[in-house]
Amino acid sequence: MTAVDSTRTGLDAAAPNLRRPWGTWALGALILFLAVTPFILVIVISFGQKIEGAGWEWDFTFANYQRFFVGALWPDEVTFLHLQRLYYALYYAVIASVLAVATAFPFTYLLTRQSRRAQSCWLVFILASLSLSEVFIVMGWDVLLSNRSGLPMLFEVSGATDWLKRTGWFEVLREWGLANPRNVKFKTSEFATILTMSYLVWPYAVILLYPALSRLDPSLTEAARTMGAGPAKVMTSVILPSVKLPLIGSMLLLFVFLLGSYVTIVVFAEPAKQTTAVAVYESVRGATLDAPFGAAQAVVLLVTAALFLVLAQWLTKRSEAR
Amino acid sequence: MRRTMGHIFMALSGLVLALPIIVVAGASLNGGRTMLFPPEDPNFARFVEFFITETIWVRALRNSLIVAFGSATLAVLLAWPLAYLLWAKGSKASKMLAGLGSLPFALPPIVFGVGLGFMWAFMGSLGAIWVGIVSHATLFLALPLVTISIGLQSIDRAHLDAAATMGATEAVTFRTVILPQTLPYSISGFFFALVLSFNEFIVMFFVSASAYATVTLQIFNSLRNGYTPTMAVAAVLFITVSIAVFSAVARWGDLPRLMGADQSRN
Repeated sequence: MTAVDSTRTGLDAAAPNLRRPWGTWALGALILFLAVTPFILVIVISFGQKIEGAGWEWDFTFANYQRFFVGALWPDEVTFLHLQRLYYALYYAVIASVLAVATAFPFTYLLTRQSRRAQSCWLVFILASLSLSEVFIVMGWDVLLSNRSGLPMLFEVSGATDWLKRTGWFEVLREWGLANPRNVKFKTSEFATILTMSYLVWPYAVILLYPALSRLDPSLTEAARTMGAGPAKVMTSVILPSVKLPLIGSMLLLFVFLLGSYVTIVVFAEPAKQTTAVAVYESVRGATLDAPFGAAQAVVLLVTAALFLVLAQWLTKRSEAR
Repeated sequence: MRRTMGHIFMALSGLVLALPIIVVAGASLNGGRTMLFPPEDPNFARFVEFFITETIWVRALRNSLIVAFGSATLAVLLAWPLAYLLWAKGSKASKMLAGLGSLPFALPPIVFGVGLGFMWAFMGSLGAIWVGIVSHATLFLALPLVTISIGLQSIDRAHLDAAATMGATEAVTFRTVILPQTLPYSISGFFFALVLSFNEFIVMFFVSASAYATVTLQIFNSLRNGYTPTMAVAAVLFITVSIAVFSAVARWGDLPRLMGADQSRN
């Protein structure tokens, strides 16, 4: 109690709630407990062991990690099934985040050149679609891409399918897995998965690029223009270099966000090309019920995400320092 | 010419962004029970079903509202002292605490969801609705933390000095200067957390343990049987709520500033 008594008289306290450090400590402890314990539990349980038919028990074994990286039967037999799932998680996330940033960048640049009022209107729309649940977005694209009522139907009715068949492009689409013998088909395919994923993060890309682009000093571009630089030259020599770091930083953030996407993968990805997030769910809640192995997969996902987050943070710091 | 091309590009982006929303909204008007677009025999029967007659949806909506309002309130209450600490002291400890408090939002939610599932199971409270509220409050703590911090940074130090020279105690300054000036930012933070909680799926999935369902959970559970226009009604409701909330934030707060349009004052 002495600590509490002595600090009560302290004059450095700036406000009522700072005069009582125990309150601060309680808040800190509560936040730490809620935000950090779940992650610690996942890490600890990942070293646990499954009991056949009866859940799991505490342990300290690397068996789950071994199973993830080289398969359960190593060294007699090596399988990379789980690594392959991680690879697909990375693969979808990389393409989708690059695509999202590449299209969101010109949009955001144009947005910041609008009036304050127009910007507010666009931001409302973008925030609304940003917060829309993945469940709804997947539903919308599912209707759009489904064979009976979506784009394939439109292709058929408008004669685009026939045109594709005549020009030979249909065969190319079939090779890419985007057509069945009769018509184009988008479900299930990498195309649908990546399209939906990049749609999912597109509004985030705009929100992340918005601060950097709206703080661009207009006098810089004007100076370049008066010195005779064309619009393309201004873009490559003035605008892009000054937002390069935020551009890469936001790409990394979107990438991390997409690593864990679940609903999109379940609905749009082919069964053989599912990701670690889906496998985590199946281990923890789904058919296989192996919590420690699910936790181990979650840890791998966590470490991968953390690595890229640190990289993103470092880049942001560097861009702010300049 | 370049201007027109810019406008066309923006309009096209907006169209693609709106496309799935338009399709879902259209499908919600279907008279029958199949998800057709354009809708067949359009009427509002599905809306009546969702809001009034079908108990699973009514109950799911009630759960969603309880969790969203509860967790957003709790998130603001937790974020306020933390943001204040950060602003008033700026100590290493408070920075670290804020960083750790933002972790759940930054890392893949499926990992946090699995961890919360373990944690609440150990505490024997998995599946209680307050657990859903606390879980979402932790997940979205980062949002009010950011908006309130922006609000606190926008307070002119001269006001604080003026209050102090006129003999106001810390408590009075807090009540008359700091609180009113940061109120719009606190409300924005509340709404951001509210809307995202309303739409969140994966963490809720792990902490509810099938004991209850929110609207997004209910939709995911019904996915196996295919979509129905009643689910599309839910989507229409959600997007309407989001637009209303963010319009309110834009109307009474400074949305471009909140999104980081201005140089922050030092």
